[in-house]
Amino acid sequence: MKRLLTFVCAVLFCAAMSAQDLRLDVPGVTVLSERPMKSIGLHETRLDTTALQESIALSMADILTYNTSVFVKSHGRATLSTVAFRGTSPSHTQVTWNGIGINSPMLGMTDFSTIPAYFIDDAALLHGTSSVNLTGGGLGGAVRLATVPQHLEGTRVQYVQGIGSFGTADEYLRLSYGNDKWQLSTRAVSATSPNRYPYRNRDKKENIYDDTHHIIGQYYPKEKNRSGSFNDLHLLQEVYYTPGDGGCWGGQVWYFASNREIPLLTTDYGTTSDFENRQREETLRSHFSYTRNGGQFKTEAAAGYMHTWMAYDYKRDAGNGILTPMTRSRSTLHTIYGQAETEYSPHHEWLFTADVTARQHFVRSVDKNIILQDGNRAVVGYDKGRFELSGAVSGKWRPTPLTGLSVVLREEMYGDEWAPLIPALFAEHVIASGWSAVLQASVSRNYRFPSLNDLFFLPGGNPALKPESGFTWDVGMTFARDLSDKLHLDGNVNWFSSQIDDWILWLPTTKGFFSPRNVRKVHAYGIESQLHGRWQRPHVTWDLAGNFSWTPSVNQSDPVSPADQSVGKQLPYVPERSASVVGQMILKKWNFTYKWCYYSRRHTMSSNDFTLTGQLPAYFMSDISLSRSVSVRWADLSFRASVENLFDEEYISVLAHPMPGIHYEFFIGITPRW
Amino acid sequence: MHDLHRFFRFFLLSCACLLNAGCMEWEDGRTEDFRDLTQGEGLYILCEGNFQYGNASLSYYNTGTRRVENEVFYRANGMKLGDVAQSMVIRGGVGWVVVNNSHVIFAIDLKTFKEIGRITGLTSPRYIHFVSDTKAYVTQIWDNRIFIVNPETLEVTGHILCPDMTMESGSTEQMVQWGRYVYVNCWSYQNRILKIDTETDEIVGSLTVGIQPTSLVMDCRHKLWTVTDGGYEGSPYGYEAPSLYRIDAETFAIERQFRFKKGDAPSEVQLNGAGDTLYWINDDIWRMDVRSEALPAQPFLPRRGTLYYGLTVHPDNGEVYVADAVDYQQAGMIYRYSPQCVRRDSFYVGIIPGAFCWKKP
Repeated sequence: MKRLLTFVCAVLFCAAMSAQDLRLDVPGVTVLSERPMKSIGLHETRLDTTALQESIALSMADILTYNTSVFVKSHGRATLSTVAFRGTSPSHTQVTWNGIGINSPMLGMTDFSTIPAYFIDDAALLHGTSSVNLTGGGLGGAVRLATVPQHLEGTRVQYVQGIGSFGTADEYLRLSYGNDKWQLSTRAVSATSPNRYPYRNRDKKENIYDDTHHIIGQYYPKEKNRSGSFNDLHLLQEVYYTPGDGGCWGGQVWYFASNREIPLLTTDYGTTSDFENRQREETLRSHFSYTRNGGQFKTEAAAGYMHTWMAYDYKRDAGNGILTPMTRSRSTLHTIYGQAETEYSPHHEWLFTADVTARQHFVRSVDKNIILQDGNRAVVGYDKGRFELSGAVSGKWRPTPLTGLSVVLREEMYGDEWAPLIPALFAEHVIASGWSAVLQASVSRNYRFPSLNDLFFLPGGNPALKPESGFTWDVGMTFARDLSDKLHLDGNVNWFSSQIDDWILWLPTTKGFFSPRNVRKVHAYGIESQLHGRWQRPHVTWDLAGNFSWTPSVNQSDPVSPADQSVGKQLPYVPERSASVVGQMILKKWNFTYKWCYYSRRHTMSSNDFTLTGQLPAYFMSDISLSRSVSVRWADLSFRASVENLFDEEYISVLAHPMPGIHYEFFIGITPRW
Repeated sequence: MHDLHRFFRFFLLSCACLLNAGCMEWEDGRTEDFRDLTQGEGLYILCEGNFQYGNASLSYYNTGTRRVENEVFYRANGMKLGDVAQSMVIRGGVGWVVVNNSHVIFAIDLKTFKEIGRITGLTSPRYIHFVSDTKAYVTQIWDNRIFIVNPETLEVTGHILCPDMTMESGSTEQMVQWGRYVYVNCWSYQNRILKIDTETDEIVGSLTVGIQPTSLVMDCRHKLWTVTDGGYEGSPYGYEAPSLYRIDAETFAIERQFRFKKGDAPSEVQLNGAGDTLYWINDDIWRMDVRSEALPAQPFLPRRGTLYYGLTVHPDNGEVYVADAVDYQQAGMIYRYSPQCVRRDSFYVGIIPGAFCWKKP
């Protein structure tokens, strides 16, 4: 912690010194822009589009790690990466893409390692209660992702190639065409790597034997990540048509195919030649929309189809050199949906909105092939459908230019079960117009329905599960000020408190499998804060953004046993403190970026005991990159070199899963001129 | 030029700050000497840990001094035990610890807990049974083979192919020996007890019982006892009321079936040292004379908000040791009871204590 504070102080000191210089030269200039009605009371973290564009090679998981206060739990590149807000679980984070929820209806969560930053043009986080404006079920919050038209005139081609450590190869291609009516874009991302990064395995030792099989020596082996290769391909086609009558037609189709091995644990004594542990996925998301802006009304209608096929194979050499399945899971998911949304603003002080989304899921999940008692074969799995409906109405009122009030009422239905009404209230008041300082407060109830696996997975699914429920309130303050035409400062700080009941946990049973149960009552509370400064000089721009979160997430359930020591303790795997800093210096066509993040020590036991076998110490991570753009007669070229895990830190984010040490990647980008 | 200087100053300052930002701290395995602790009789307690987290551990309880030491494998060897510690047996003064999802069996010194060897090349080992000093069987899940290993050379020397099983549906569990035959219960999506001739290493018999026999013991009269869990609701393999079976080892035939209620989940059949009293878990702890012809009406030890997961009986004095897994995410508790069900001690161990192994003085 001392090191963290030292560093944060040093960085802030630099920023303060820079700002101090400026204040002497230039009188402060204050701009109070009118806040959008839709943002009344919202606690929203909007990701800088520069962060998305600069991080071309990253998944959204990496972007969120460095640019927001959420906790990203990752097993490494191209492995499951989940996002959790405010000490809640990944399934408490709802994710939308172009307005439609993309959390897996089977698992209830989103794997952010499957979302390339290159495909996202606009991203925002809606914290806590604010997520009710977007969707239900976001007990921690929601992540809103979107693609947007480029408003391009003519043709543009961008191609970026990256070559990195461990045999990693990344390719990015975007073909775009636009005129006053049409905007077309085709994007492709390919990422492959054997991903065999070296690490010191401190969880096991290699033995040195003598001729009589006695151990005469031991050492921690230096191993390479085993069974960690990946091969991902993403394609995104976008079409936008604006006929000029106030309407806009849009269509996006996103295809994703991955073939990933699942890395062996550090405690695994098997050999990769004996086993294959592989996950494959194909996902298609298509979304078609029509938006119309007409005076006081804005309406949007959308429909689409999503399909996912997932395969998990765990195979073993049966002694004859042929890999034979030990587990062969297959799941197929089809979702069709329709959505309508309207806004009506009869007066600049009033805004009314209404939205409704209907989804129908069809899931077939097969987990195991077995021989029945009568000798016939059968598969263990489930085949279910579920209809989901979510609708909301809201009224937003700004009685004075400095005050805003908003109420949202949302109702949701899963299968044949209706959630109780989900209400949310928001209020804000400008307390210092010179600093655009706004006091905000909000309160809401929320419910999250169990996922289809929670209910029906065999073995273990529990159809008797109740929805998780949450009650959350937030108070906070945001500010933004242009201290001069060169220096900008903005930030926010929020206190939140969430009470979550009937938390669903998958736990072992005495029958040898896991089963979900409503077991916990959790109080998550704490502070989220952000500070961002930007200083523009004639040839150089300095940009510094930092996040800090303190998020205790405390088990308040009754003891499950006389021996239970977990009551009043922090939930396992949830860090109490996290921080990140991104510093950028743009000098003419040079761009130097430094990224740093910190997660405090995490508990692996609900009793918060620290053991030798269950330690997840705090860690700091530093990445730097340097890029340069060059314009020649026939093209714009860009060169970028990045160094990740700059200090070659040996760390783990999840027990028994090693993370890579220092590694490098070099990118060349070409945008031809036509 | 001025800006270029600023650029490099920023770069250098950043580096200086970063150097101060520190790193994750590792404690490289210091090892401890446990010789003083392990004098006399003791109980090894295997704690499974959480699947896929590699946090299994081994605890040791000195029954005389009532002193418990946790994570003794890590502390003695400076490395982790692995992922899902399943079972342990003692043979010839050596402890053999089967670590299921680490695909390894460790041989440890009983006094120091130090590793003295390991058997690898396994699929998903569950239990090890010694036929002789040079031959042992290793049962597995998700494999239709029982591996034959040589404990002296630590090598896999062969396997026994189980009939009517595929790799995917393969499951063999606990083993008991009567004469030249070893009996094995087949659990996951299975309903059989297999009989192996140890001289030919072949399956020579198969007996159908109820759905998913979980455990197997042999009493003082050479009767095999197994308890089924009955499967689960929705299972294509079937779902039925679990049963406790008494099987004559010689005729390899079911003598008696004791039915539980549908939905019960009995497991962990154990015997006392004399082999005349059975114990098992079915929410509560139950006890029954092996000569009884009916299930007991009252439990030996009622559940009191506990989650009983493991069970053993002292081979000499009949004391009952019960493991409470609590919420499966924290240190489990071991309760020590007299044969009259008077609590004599309790102590915390590792995560999900599930198996025990007795060490004689």
